[in-house]
Amino acid sequence: MSIAPRPAVHRRWLEPARIGAMSPLGGIVAYGLLGLWAAFVLFPLYWVVVTSLKLPVDVNTGPYFLPWVDFVPNLHAWRGLLVDDAGPTFRAYLNSIIIAFSSTVLCVLIGSMAAYALARIEYRPRLVSILIFVLALVGACVAVGVAGIDWRVATAVALALFVLLARALGRRFPGAVHNGDILFWIISQRILPPVVTIIPIYMMFQSVRLLDTHLALILAYTVVNLPIVVWLMYDFFTKIPIDLEESAQLDGASRFLIFFDIVLPLARPGLAATTLLVLILAWNEYVLALFLSTSRAQTMPILVAAMNAGEKGILWWTMSVVIIIMILPVILMALILQRFIARGVLLGAVKG
Amino acid sequence: MRNRTLAGGLLGGAAIAVALAVATPVRADKPYDGVTINLLTRPGPVIAGRLEERGREFTEMTGAKVEVATVPFADLFQKVLTDWSTGTNSIDVSVLSSGWVVELYDAGLLADLSDFVAKDDKLKVDDIAPYFREFNQKVDGKTVAITVDGDFQMMYYRTDVLGELGMAPPRTWDDYLAIAKAAHGKDMNGDGEPDYGSCMFKKRNAQGYYAIMSLAAQFVQSKGTSQGIFFNTDDMTPMVNNEAWAKAFEIYKATTEFGPPDELNHDIGDTRALVLAGRCAMALDWGDIGPLSIDETSSKIKDKVGAVIMPGTTRVLDWETGKLVDCTAEICPHAIDGVNHAPFAAFGGWTGVINAKADPKVIEATYAFLSYMNQPEQSNIDVTIGWTGYNPYRISQFENVEPWVEAGFSREFAENYLKAIGDSLNSPNMAGDLRIPGTQRYQGIVLDRELARMLAGEVTIEQALQNIHEGWEEITEEFGREEQLKLYRASLGLGAS
Amino acid sequence: MAVPQPAARPSRVEVTASLASAAPLARGEWLDRHARWLFIAPAVVMILIFSIFPLVASLLIAFSRVRLRAGTYSMTFVGFGNFEKQLVGSEQVHFLGQLTAFSPPAWVVVIAVAALLLWWLVGYARTQLTVIGLLGRLVTAAMLMALTLMLAATLLSGGQIGTLGVTLFYVFVGCAVQFLIGLGLALLCSQITRGRAFFRVVFFLPLMITPIGIGYIFRMMADTGKGPFATLWQWAGLGGFSWSADPWAARLIIVVADSWQWIPFIFVVLLAALESVPRDLVEAGEVDGASSWQIFREITWPEIAPVAATVMLIRVIEAFKLVDLPNIMTAGGPGTATESLTLHAFFAWRSLDLGQAAAVSYLLLFVTVVLCVSFFNLVVLRRRAAMAR
Repeated sequence: MSIAPRPAVHRRWLEPARIGAMSPLGGIVAYGLLGLWAAFVLFPLYWVVVTSLKLPVDVNTGPYFLPWVDFVPNLHAWRGLLVDDAGPTFRAYLNSIIIAFSSTVLCVLIGSMAAYALARIEYRPRLVSILIFVLALVGACVAVGVAGIDWRVATAVALALFVLLARALGRRFPGAVHNGDILFWIISQRILPPVVTIIPIYMMFQSVRLLDTHLALILAYTVVNLPIVVWLMYDFFTKIPIDLEESAQLDGASRFLIFFDIVLPLARPGLAATTLLVLILAWNEYVLALFLSTSRAQTMPILVAAMNAGEKGILWWTMSVVIIIMILPVILMALILQRFIARGVLLGAVKG
Repeated sequence: MRNRTLAGGLLGGAAIAVALAVATPVRADKPYDGVTINLLTRPGPVIAGRLEERGREFTEMTGAKVEVATVPFADLFQKVLTDWSTGTNSIDVSVLSSGWVVELYDAGLLADLSDFVAKDDKLKVDDIAPYFREFNQKVDGKTVAITVDGDFQMMYYRTDVLGELGMAPPRTWDDYLAIAKAAHGKDMNGDGEPDYGSCMFKKRNAQGYYAIMSLAAQFVQSKGTSQGIFFNTDDMTPMVNNEAWAKAFEIYKATTEFGPPDELNHDIGDTRALVLAGRCAMALDWGDIGPLSIDETSSKIKDKVGAVIMPGTTRVLDWETGKLVDCTAEICPHAIDGVNHAPFAAFGGWTGVINAKADPKVIEATYAFLSYMNQPEQSNIDVTIGWTGYNPYRISQFENVEPWVEAGFSREFAENYLKAIGDSLNSPNMAGDLRIPGTQRYQGIVLDRELARMLAGEVTIEQALQNIHEGWEEITEEFGREEQLKLYRASLGLGAS
Repeated sequence: MAVPQPAARPSRVEVTASLASAAPLARGEWLDRHARWLFIAPAVVMILIFSIFPLVASLLIAFSRVRLRAGTYSMTFVGFGNFEKQLVGSEQVHFLGQLTAFSPPAWVVVIAVAALLLWWLVGYARTQLTVIGLLGRLVTAAMLMALTLMLAATLLSGGQIGTLGVTLFYVFVGCAVQFLIGLGLALLCSQITRGRAFFRVVFFLPLMITPIGIGYIFRMMADTGKGPFATLWQWAGLGGFSWSADPWAARLIIVVADSWQWIPFIFVVLLAALESVPRDLVEAGEVDGASSWQIFREITWPEIAPVAATVMLIRVIEAFKLVDLPNIMTAGGPGTATESLTLHAFFAWRSLDLGQAAAVSYLLLFVTVVLCVSFFNLVVLRRRAAMAR
């Protein structure tokens, strides 16, 4: 580099000072664009914060932007929600925390195990077995739904039939599905909109008497978010070089040991990002929460929706407060997980 | 489910408590000690807030604990119906829209309260305005619901704006359009910006269809509540594809010209905010504007607003020909000065209904609580307070000005407001909301969608009415014409045809 | 690890002793031997339990008319009645749109698309033909053709589009915009050295808010009467114009809100992928004097493409289910202009018309599955294969 010709003045702006860095002009443009987007992201949130400090009359005759300058800030909405209505608010808050965190842990654990298995082990379940299985279960569902047979009896009969038929027919039809098909089947579980499955799910939980409990929502959220975990983690696992695992295997380590001690730590950035995403989805879910809870397990999103007082208008000020207190724990989690994501970046650099 | 066992345990406790109560006269004044009433309604403070407060008083008096749970308004009906029809029964009583009562009754889910009402002398049932007593609370002659809030629409106008224009409050919809036109674009709240002649909520899937029904009722119904505004009471033919509804659609569309530019996206909350901010010369609304307008934290129109019975018409529908004809004493027996008014009980108000499958003791305690809410001693105060969301439904509530003045109304406005309420509630031509199975589909899907499409210019008025006619016929066929006819007649207080 | 085989037949005492000491090891071994099933079983079993019954039950509902009654429900089998109503019956205008005779531009588009699809199929048949592959491509082509015909008969010929068309607009326009902006931001963010953590957290914020909350926030933002941009709106001379009364403006505002919510998701995942691109590869490219575009196209993009494909698949699936934003911001108005398919199903469901709700949902499922399977097989798998190679 030392023998390079003296740069012309304009090149100082366009050429990076060193390899891997940006040119000064590029830096300005990049920061400018990023700043612009940050403003686009932050402004609505700013508006929510100031709205939470407004009296109804300030909201209705607005727009007013600056507290103390445009309008006199007032804590009535905060007081209303956190003092006058403290009981229901904190109950919902606690419910949300218990449900979102438990389901996230469960979901990430189960989901990343499955993702790892799909990334590393080849599965070839027989097509005909799957077909028989589905038909047996469909038969059971029809028997329960239409003929009114007890669901336990129907399930037992269906499973017995499946085992018998699968053994008998399995050898004759060798067609099988692959990991890719299993993967797609898993993601396809998210395609159907919840409005159509909610009534059957409600009836399922009702028949095992779990309605309005934390467990019901934890299970439901775990299942609906599993596909996301499996998919994202699958991509992260396939990126980890297989050599480490192979040498561990040669040393006699079991699959479980390899998974928990070697693979998971390596996948930490992806794991952190996935955890955060799943946590957010569970934290914010509405339709399932509405149906599976009545009063004791009600979560925060219901409180947000409740601030649309129907024919009496929307309580913008209180809704803003709910949105703000809902986002705080998630920001906290994001900051904590951010450190893992960042550390992962370092790790990647070392590895590279 | 733990809830039930808990309630069961409490009931056992209650049985012991009752036994003790017999033995020890000290406890005799708390008849429902240990009973827990699980109540589901929409979120407060509106409606739910007062139920909670009165619930605490009730616990003090009777020992029964009132647990108020809430779900968002739009999901309330689904939730109650699912809970009761699948046998979950975690809810004993729900305070919900009276429009849903007939459907719940038809599904066999409601406890019959007639005997309780007959024995209840504190309820002063004769004081309840006729529409609410005879139509809102009863189905098939049985009392299955207890009103806690009376809902019907009225017309509000700005006294100062109309005074400046030298115009009287509207008596007919032609008057309304004329006033809206004259007032539109004037500054009405002193901020230097032009304001609006007419504010109407027109958002889809919100309350827009209540406004159109309020309008249509004037032209369709002239012979009293039992005539109805939706179907022919002989064969369930929709009474919608005719000149009366066409006229209502025309007026509805015409008012858009004198409203805020984004009126199509305004639900009632947006409209009320505009009214209270002083930006509307006229608005159509339930009784709430009265108490809300005197609350100075949210209102800029204190003592500047007046109310009248919903504007009417001099031309009404001839049910035989589907054409509009001039009112005569025979055609419009209830006309006031030649103008036919049919104040529309939009939404019908909030009513309490009790789960038929609840424990008898709980039903008894729950009835006592609903009755407590409804009794004049309590409700006559509650209706004067804006935030409760309760509007008048008793005769004593609009005949006596004093509680309203005490609540902060100026005497002049209180008298004006109560006269409008009295005119509406006393009218034998009050129009009832639709209250049969599938109501949400007739109104919330078909009527609402076609109305929105007409406003957006996707279809013409004729096409929209034709689509509504066909859509309604399809729903009627689906539910069974005979069945629907029977219930429609029942909801209008008519016997079998 | 294999259990050491005893050389000679052991005495009874020895067997007991060795069994006792081997018990923990044996359990570990059992776990290890069945690891291939134990890893995947919890996920598969849970999904099966929670998907089969609801899926079958809702399919039954889609072919029935359901009414909830005291302690029970009544179901009447109506065959394809619910689907007929949507596709050819009284709901057709709502679902498919106002079908009109083709206009000349519509003909041009239809013929062009048909020719393209044919060319694609023939090209495939000539090179690597398998029965399943051809069948799959035929289904994909048929679906694309059907959607094209629907759009040609409505949008391109001056008719109204129905909820299906609106949903496709949200999915294709929305996801394209989100992908481009999300990728752009991730690229920018991966270039800068300072403040990356700050931007990462800030850009992630919208995703943390409950979707219902976002609906309400944007309703406040887009309020031209008392929202924050009201003054600007009046100043621009748009005081008399309302986005909520104009179909395309309303759809656009929904896409803006949707993008605000979902760009963070694409951004974060793509940034993670970008950060794991080996630096030495990029630097080697720079030393060789490659332009930044060349580096992106030749080095970065192939590395992040599999993740990008996955992310877009997830995003597209969620976009097909868009419901909260139009429900809260416009309730589907003006008219039916912003009503998505899920909202369509949701309205039916709220009015207790469960059969129609299920039928609409299954039609949505059908379109989504065909499009997503095609995307998965033709894009995602190919990207992964390219990566593996």
